[in-house]
Amino acid sequence: MFRHNLAYELKEVLRVREFILWLMLFPIILGTLFKVAFGSIYSKEVFDTIPVAVVRTSDNQVAEEFLKGLSEEEKPMLATTYTDAENAKQLLLDGDVEGILTIGESIELTVSRTGILPTMLQELVSRYKLYETVIRDTIATDPASLQTVLAKLSAEVNACRDTSPKADNPDVYVQYFYNLIAMVAICGNMTGLHVSTNNQANQSILGARKNCSATPKGIYLTAGLLGSCIAQSVSMVLCVTFLRFVLQVNFGGSLLLLYLAAILSGCLGVAFGFFIGSIGKMKHEGKSAIAITVSMVLCFLSGLMMGNIKGILAVKAPWVNRFNPVAIISDSFYCLNMYSDYRRFISKVIAMLIYTAVFTALGVLFTRRKKYESI
Amino acid sequence: MKPTVVKIDNLVKRYGELVALDHFSLEIKEGEIFGLLGPNGSGKTTTINCLLSLLSFDKGEIEVFGKEMTPTSYDIKREIGVIMQNVAVMDELTVRENIDYFCGLYIADKEKRKACVEEAIKFVGLEDFVNFRPKKLSGGLLRRLNIACGIAHKPKLIILDEPTVAVDPQSRNRILEGIQELNREGATVIYTSHYMEEVEQICTRIAIMDKGRKIAEGTKDELKGMIRNTESVSIEILELPEDVREKIAHLPHVYETDYDGTKLTVRCSGGRHNLIRILAVLQEAELGFGRVYSELPTLNDVFLEITGTALRDSKE
Repeated sequence: MFRHNLAYELKEVLRVREFILWLMLFPIILGTLFKVAFGSIYSKEVFDTIPVAVVRTSDNQVAEEFLKGLSEEEKPMLATTYTDAENAKQLLLDGDVEGILTIGESIELTVSRTGILPTMLQELVSRYKLYETVIRDTIATDPASLQTVLAKLSAEVNACRDTSPKADNPDVYVQYFYNLIAMVAICGNMTGLHVSTNNQANQSILGARKNCSATPKGIYLTAGLLGSCIAQSVSMVLCVTFLRFVLQVNFGGSLLLLYLAAILSGCLGVAFGFFIGSIGKMKHEGKSAIAITVSMVLCFLSGLMMGNIKGILAVKAPWVNRFNPVAIISDSFYCLNMYSDYRRFISKVIAMLIYTAVFTALGVLFTRRKKYESI
Repeated sequence: MKPTVVKIDNLVKRYGELVALDHFSLEIKEGEIFGLLGPNGSGKTTTINCLLSLLSFDKGEIEVFGKEMTPTSYDIKREIGVIMQNVAVMDELTVRENIDYFCGLYIADKEKRKACVEEAIKFVGLEDFVNFRPKKLSGGLLRRLNIACGIAHKPKLIILDEPTVAVDPQSRNRILEGIQELNREGATVIYTSHYMEEVEQICTRIAIMDKGRKIAEGTKDELKGMIRNTESVSIEILELPEDVREKIAHLPHVYETDYDGTKLTVRCSGGRHNLIRILAVLQEAELGFGRVYSELPTLNDVFLEITGTALRDSKE
């Protein structure tokens, strides 16, 4: 009877139009839009060496060394063109360079537009001015360690542009895709809610019919939950596969673990919906509205709609990120990508498992009643 | 004597202050088509839900097939088929899949189930619609699917809770014939309705409910025998002097007259030739009249006489 219930649960869930639309098609469409929106910016502005024109107005050894250090690395941050002021201006106007660095007593920057690359140049010059004394002292006292100091300076500028410190994934926009996967996962509440409604006599006529049958509630409830988790897992695998292999989003890290985290997060979403569906006597439509609203708020707080909200919360209310299941889900992908040891990833996975277990246990506790006061 | 299939004893169910079932008792024997008749809100569905162990109740006992009915009485539930008032099917499954799914909640064996499903499809006449989704079915076909889902596992006790609400006359007749056929095949049937004609047509025994209480029980003839009315004569007449009406009211067996300006209704208790006697009075007074009807008492008259309100006038 368990297999019978499981088979029909799967058949039913996979034919629900809302499920196909929100959990299978929507992430594909949104992921494609993300890729279109971020793809060009990311490829043009983040990875290229920044072309700059350098104009000497006076002899400044420290500035010369500083720029030399940044333009002679294996993957140089700057591509310098030494020229006079007039020619530099023309190069800037023609768009051949992103800015003009004028070496005088210090370094001055001239740019003609706003954007990520000019901002990075601005940041670089600010850093130089801040650390000018340190560089001068290093040249005077320990010239051999100058490269190390410059490397550190350069790294700090890199950090300012949100580039991953892990070499295999410098994609600055990958966080949006993590949040997208997390959103698909939490939207699994639809199927969990469906299980809860369809198995309670006071929630649906279908539930009443099942409650009258010769099959124990535990069987069709477990089959329903398992079926929903399987269906949700299919949508999670589909989503990750599409993002990774069709849109070529570089998630870095272990793909297998990424799939595992995605499947676990999908189960969390199902458990969340099951829990919402099990509390109170409100009808399905009301509970569905609550589940969608809560999910969207959690997605917003994790940065799906506004990338920097998570950073703001990390400073102002760090507990929100710690307890927001959507943030935990997207963090698990982030940890997998960012850290070479799996300690943080495992802690996020454990948090997901705890959430899933608690939501499921509470859901079962509330739906296990045998008789109802009213129907 | 046939064994008792359902025994409800002194059942009390309250929804807060409202008493939905007030010391309600019932005994249904094997092979009966037992009708629960009453207006909306009289407690019919509450009785069924308590019987099925879906609802908790405050007092009383319920036995089905001689055993106490509890939510975990799966051996009893295996022998019960339920057809709910509202259609309870899954929108995403086809007709055949729906029947197979619900049948599978009772029968694990796939081969046996397959045969049952085919038989149920044939029984309700849905052969041409097996691959349709419920949304593509008309109201009548949907009701038939609902019935097929409830009876596919060949239950010994079939409970139908107002299965003909919002059904066209053709489908209604088919459903009623089907219920009688199931009964002939050996099933005991509990049929709730507020349509007295249906209950009269198919039920072998009837309990009339009002405000959570059983107000009468018996065969339709027994129920009709409980009231004074044995014949209602209705005559279309535009003018009826008071003395003529008085004369009619004093005829033998007449116990009530009612005139609304266009129609005279005369209720009689027993006797023969009541109609002829009434018409003779009108002819003697040289009064013209239109159409004339003579009706035997209905269950509505039973309900009217016992409760003071017509069955269809009662509100939830």
